Amino acid sequence: MDFNVPETKPLVDDQFVGEPAKRALNYIQSKREQGHPVVGIYCGYAPMEIIRAMGAGVAVLCAFSNKTIIAGEVHLPSNLCPLIKSSYGFITTDTCPFYGFSDVVVAETTCDGKKKMFELIRHLKPIHVMDLPQLPDEQEAEANWSAMIKKLKTFLEKHLGRQATDRDIETAIKDTNRKNRIMNAIFDFAACKPPVINWKEIYDLTFLAVPAPTTDIDKLLQESLNKLEQRVKNGIYYGKKGSPRVLVTGCPVAGDATKVFNIIEQAGGVIVAIDNCTGMKGFMGEIEEDTGNPIAAISRRYLKIPCACMTPNLRRLAEMDKWIERFKPDAIIDVVLHACHGYNVESYKVMKHAKDKHIPFLKIETDYSTTDVGQIRTRVEALFETLSRM
Amino acid sequence: MRTAGIDIGSRTIKLVVVENGQIIHSAITDTTHDPLEQCKRLMDHVSFDKILATGYGRHFFETHFDAPTVTEIKAFARGAKALFPECRTILDIGGQDTKAIALDEKGNVSKFEMNDRCAAGTGMFLEVIAKTLGYDLDEFGKEALKADGNIQINSMCTVFAQSEVTSLLARRQKREDIARGIHLAILNRTLSLLKRVSTEPDIVFAGGVAKNPCLRLLLIDTLGYEVKVPQNPQMVGAYGAAIIAREIY
Repeated sequence: MDFNVPETKPLVDDQFVGEPAKRALNYIQSKREQGHPVVGIYCGYAPMEIIRAMGAGVAVLCAFSNKTIIAGEVHLPSNLCPLIKSSYGFITTDTCPFYGFSDVVVAETTCDGKKKMFELIRHLKPIHVMDLPQLPDEQEAEANWSAMIKKLKTFLEKHLGRQATDRDIETAIKDTNRKNRIMNAIFDFAACKPPVINWKEIYDLTFLAVPAPTTDIDKLLQESLNKLEQRVKNGIYYGKKGSPRVLVTGCPVAGDATKVFNIIEQAGGVIVAIDNCTGMKGFMGEIEEDTGNPIAAISRRYLKIPCACMTPNLRRLAEMDKWIERFKPDAIIDVVLHACHGYNVESYKVMKHAKDKHIPFLKIETDYSTTDVGQIRTRVEALFETLSRM
Repeated sequence: MRTAGIDIGSRTIKLVVVENGQIIHSAITDTTHDPLEQCKRLMDHVSFDKILATGYGRHFFETHFDAPTVTEIKAFARGAKALFPECRTILDIGGQDTKAIALDEKGNVSKFEMNDRCAAGTGMFLEVIAKTLGYDLDEFGKEALKADGNIQINSMCTVFAQSEVTSLLARRQKREDIARGIHLAILNRTLSLLKRVSTEPDIVFAGGVAKNPCLRLLLIDTLGYEVKVPQNPQMVGAYGAAIIAREIY
């Protein structure tokens, strides 16, 4: 799968082409060298604005390498999400540079597996576990999560030796909102028919945009926007006219799990929307500004993230309708990592919803290994075959 | 125009040639460790104008013979519908995988599910257990039908089911009763896959395992209606591929 003009250079054309995690690592390293502390996070629910308000850098600790799974399975059961096993395996083999750079770790009670894994790493670095409300629509949820965010603030102030005022937090909120607006302007180019940006380029940007404040990546994002506009002017697009447009949803997909994206492209499809934490999902939404209570505003915004750890998570389907309208997919592929019960059970609802919308749907349950590549390919090809009725 | 369909599976390769809507040639051979050689042997001295490949080995065939491909899902759907025009569900139990396909009124695939990560309940499972019980694969189903008792088999894993069968034999349980228990275990697993996809008649039962009379009977008994079994249930994919080849050329 390529651009119609094969010589088209990638949006972020540096020495890290195709390696978004390395680029992010390089960025965090530079923050550290500038004297900023680094906070490791495990989840999209981590309140970034508090962390940034303290001038700390952010290291995403979720791992996507098959290599460290064996190490993870020495203490963890093999019947467990590969993301957890891989992350843990990196830590026990002391080979995770992100974890290495982190001064402290922030974690949330999202899923069972992660929750229990955090217990096994408590003794290594200061870790603060936040009790994430899993019924976000309950009246008490906002106040409970606000209380947790305040506790996080206290923990960070203590361990990083820094303070964050309401004003600092409000500045961070505005920074986030600005970033989300620019990122969405970029995502709009994926909504084009045919798309003008590919998944690798989206990842090159999202992997930086998650840890970095807008002020650090503003230039890069603006340049990317300009390049994309130029592509449209020059009639450059990705894939072929008529390539099946795929909306990917579900669990985080990165590193070795991007085999799914590669297979989709091999089968002739293009990915136009990435409804996963590693992709576009975290940038969909803004935090209310100047409310006088920034922590409550942050609380409200984060509780809206439709992860399957939330229940009943009706928001996932409501958001999906917006994605469908915006990106106009021809098919929906729900990627569920092995042993992820949340997304796996929820997949049934996504399947029914896709059926109601008359959009062909496929669930792929997989891990980070390469053993099921053939099987996944058959399923994706069969899905695309249903798009062209004979 | 003569078109051929070749279905390259993990255990067997099937070839069907179609002309004017009629099957004029059909052959099957083992895949072995050298599927390329086996394909060449199968196609040797067989005349056709165009060929289309399906199955597990379709992309390797595509590379060597520059032929188009379709997935087994589409091939089985087309083949089953051509054989049985009222077909709405296809159940295919092959050498190492199982799939269920639902068709809409027009015969297009509307839903499918595959189980190809585990050989439990497939032809391989039957082979291993038949051997453990001292039966030929062909007589296994017939012998199971003779049973008057029934023994519940707890392991679905081929390897552990084999151990379970061995210890049942050691405890002097009757071979036919064990055989029936094994068939019931396969039926239950198959039914759970089918219910997730479709049980709407006509159900076409294809794949090598459809030749097993005990499984056919158990399926009909449980569903409460007939299932359609093609005369050559293993050839449905290759047949479907040959028809699709005719449609695209």
